[in-house]
Amino acid sequence: MARRPPRRVLIGLLATIALLAPIGWFWQQSLVPGGMSAMDMGYADFGGGPSVALMHAGHGTDLSKLAAAPDRPADVSVSLVARKERFDIPGRGSTEGYTLNHTSPGPEIKAKKGDLVEVTLVNESVSGGMTLHWHGVDVPAAQDGVAGVTQDAVMPGQTFRYRFVAPDVGTYWYHSHQLSHEQVKGGLYGVLVISPGPTDVVAVAHTYDKVRTVNGGYGERRVPGVAGSTVRVRLINTDNGPMAAWVDGAPYKVVAVDGTEVNAPTQVEGKSVLVTAGGRIDLVITLPANAIRIGLGGGPTTLVIGEGDAPTGREPPEPVDLLTYGKPAALPFDPSSADRKFEYRIGRRPGFFDGKPGLWWTINGHQFPDVPMFVVKQGDVVRMTVRNTSGQVHPMHLHGHHVVVLSRNGQPATGSPWWVDSLNVEDDETYEIAFLADNPGIWMDHCHNLPHAAQGLITHLMYEGVTTPFHLDGPTGNEPE
Amino acid sequence: MRSAYRVLAGLISLGVLVQAMAIALGWFTAIKDVDDGLVIDKNYDGNIGHSLHGTIGMMVIPILAILLLIVSFFAHVPGGVKWAAIVFGLVALQIALAFVAFGAPAVGALHGANALVLLGVSGMAARRASGPPTPATTDTTATEATI
Repeated sequence: MARRPPRRVLIGLLATIALLAPIGWFWQQSLVPGGMSAMDMGYADFGGGPSVALMHAGHGTDLSKLAAAPDRPADVSVSLVARKERFDIPGRGSTEGYTLNHTSPGPEIKAKKGDLVEVTLVNESVSGGMTLHWHGVDVPAAQDGVAGVTQDAVMPGQTFRYRFVAPDVGTYWYHSHQLSHEQVKGGLYGVLVISPGPTDVVAVAHTYDKVRTVNGGYGERRVPGVAGSTVRVRLINTDNGPMAAWVDGAPYKVVAVDGTEVNAPTQVEGKSVLVTAGGRIDLVITLPANAIRIGLGGGPTTLVIGEGDAPTGREPPEPVDLLTYGKPAALPFDPSSADRKFEYRIGRRPGFFDGKPGLWWTINGHQFPDVPMFVVKQGDVVRMTVRNTSGQVHPMHLHGHHVVVLSRNGQPATGSPWWVDSLNVEDDETYEIAFLADNPGIWMDHCHNLPHAAQGLITHLMYEGVTTPFHLDGPTGNEPE
Repeated sequence: MRSAYRVLAGLISLGVLVQAMAIALGWFTAIKDVDDGLVIDKNYDGNIGHSLHGTIGMMVIPILAILLLIVSFFAHVPGGVKWAAIVFGLVALQIALAFVAFGAPAVGALHGANALVLLGVSGMAARRASGPPTPATTDTTATEATI
């Protein structure tokens, strides 16, 4: 019996290699190395400004030294014990998730502007480790709570002490920045109000498994309110997508955005207000004779203020446009004489990410971790153009800084200075923003749709001469997204 | 190798069936969850049906299609390389249609139609490799039987 000619086998082998080689190459290129440092990630982007020397660990300023007054006694001291356990969602029943001091959301932390806040985090049973990030608060870099960038994840049995001076009044929140796409959703978050007033009503929206809640409860939740009095409603969106909020039964004013007061807010009626994912909006409402209802995204969960029946409306089609709302005021720096101008272009393309095939996010055409690192010097005035052509909305969040919106799609901002830390950038939108580089550190600049961040929509703002001793992935288990 | 070809092609057919089941499970679950208080907005990231559909469609079936194509080079199935290449092409087309459909939902209808084409073609490829092996040098009757 004649043997088959080996030529055919040879052609088969060559065809196999021709098929597998490109797939294998793209797969291999996409793998994210373990134990990476934020300092060695991607490529430096100096934004057209002078290039500066980037330090390596052991040189320059270690960001873990950038901390608040170590000898000053605390004005506000809080201990938070994190656990994985079942907890009750009022109006819904019990669910499996994470708690802080046996509740989710965790205890509301209140401090006055200038107070030294000290929070002791004890991780009792969150198996992946955790951290606390002070969302929107411009804390010193060592206190920012990003696993693998500003600290190591706090593993079960470990403790970490956060200390910072409350820098600005306003509505903020805190959440874990370790495995955040899973831990925040599961309940590791809480409210932080700096210099609260006597008439505050907090409305923190959060979606656990399937159901949106307000202040941890499902369905129509109620808080007392006296007719004729004025309340300040602090809306906080802890979810991954933007949320429309509105008031049924009374007009309102938008008095603060992401903690910063709006200049000369005007009365609003029959409009909704968009709360960016991660963002906060403060409303002032004078309560009428009857109860009012705060609509939160249109689901069954609403917040009623006052006694008796409250009107039930629908989401008003027109939102308040913060680009033109309120009156202009002077900025603390001049954006027209920027030292650096960056581009943050968000796109999407098919391929591999860390070995997984799919449709993945890109920053300036590059995929994580080969993304631009925006490098600045302390004192720089920085402009950034954020352009989104990825097909989906992205709530862009820069740590440690407040940014001011200059324009949207070429239309200049003409209202009150619109300061944000979380900016809702819809598909096909372009925002120009500016900020002052006044808080040395290494700061995440990422999408706060946390699954998107886990899919690589993350980069950093880096300061000249600042280094971090911490590493992503690897033996520490740091996974900030 | 022939039986590997048959099994791989059969698994791709079966995969298409599982995909149809997963996506139906996903959306019927979503509809029930909406009745139960779920809000589907930009915050919604799907349920077990959607994630199964994504994993099987992006990982399992493409890997099976690549393996089928590789096996076809050595399996001596009549027209085996051609059919495996068509299956591979249809899988690639199916993924491309899904990507486009996120921006243009009407294309999603073609994603549904192409699934049935893939089911049929992979089933035909499996049948090509069934029955006794095609002998290269002996027993001409067996060759006829497979045609």
